[in-house]
Amino acid sequence: MSHRMTFWSKVPAFYQAQLKLTMAAKKGLGDAVLAELVVLRASQLNKCAFCVDMHVTNLRAAGVEAQRIDLLPAWEEAGDLYSERERAALAFTEAVTVLTEGHVPDEVYERAAAQFDEAELAHLLAVIVAINNWNRVNVTVRQPPGAEL
Amino acid sequence: MTNETTPTAGHQAPAAAGHQHGPRMRWAKLAPEVYKAMIGLDAAAKKGLDATLVELVNIRASQLNKCAFCLHMHTSDARKAGESEERLALLAAWEEAVGFFTDRERAALALTEAITVLTDGFVPDAVYAQAEAAFEEAELAQLIALITTINAWNRFGVTTRLVPGQV
Repeated sequence: MSHRMTFWSKVPAFYQAQLKLTMAAKKGLGDAVLAELVVLRASQLNKCAFCVDMHVTNLRAAGVEAQRIDLLPAWEEAGDLYSERERAALAFTEAVTVLTEGHVPDEVYERAAAQFDEAELAHLLAVIVAINNWNRVNVTVRQPPGAEL
Repeated sequence: MTNETTPTAGHQAPAAAGHQHGPRMRWAKLAPEVYKAMIGLDAAAKKGLDATLVELVNIRASQLNKCAFCLHMHTSDARKAGESEERLALLAAWEEAVGFFTDRERAALALTEAITVLTDGFVPDAVYAQAEAAFEEAELAQLIALITTINAWNRFGVTTRLVPGQV
């Protein structure tokens, strides 16, 4: 499983735009821990080792309890370990990420819309899109966990 | 098909039960900085790539992600760029359409599918190697950027249920 290509330095304008997208999305959402939970869940679904490593590290550094990090792949069965706001965001993350297998069902959209105002929801969607971008590239080029971009 | 001449204005199909259509939210207005960054991402991704190839990749990813708005836009753009009706019709079955797409296009389409359907697998060595053989490294980086970017537009389009043909 060797690194296929040093991608990001080959496309500096794309890298800068992707950084701007990520920052604008997170700033508009305004909840750093929620953003980290969402990006970790998307990275798990897309199986991006580099991204999982980075965002588990970020969650630990933010002081999030180990149990909330470890049980994230099973959040639906994890009782009240996650708030309804987090659960609505995680269901939304999964639907937006696994797009080739379906759409974003009305009940998932409405559950999220009940927890986030419209501007927050637009930025939550942008956080999910941005991490899907990082996931796609880093899986494709086999970015090694912990390596410099 | 009775009203071929006015495909957007004249076609008012009844909404399927439980599946309301019309945009769920105006994301670009609600998140203008995000939209600006997406425009920058899009311009950076396309740089140096051939317009015909760009549209084939954009259409194929939009088919897999089932983004109606994106399909409408990119089939229109492809026609404007001179794409043939035959190739547009066969794109969803490109693997079986021997002789219609070049080896370079086929390598790009296989890579598009692998990168788009990421939750079902990885990007297999054979697919990556085929793309590496058809594109030099700088071009391959652009192609990966392009595939990533259309996936991003698809996610915004499908999630917010953008209406085909409406801005």
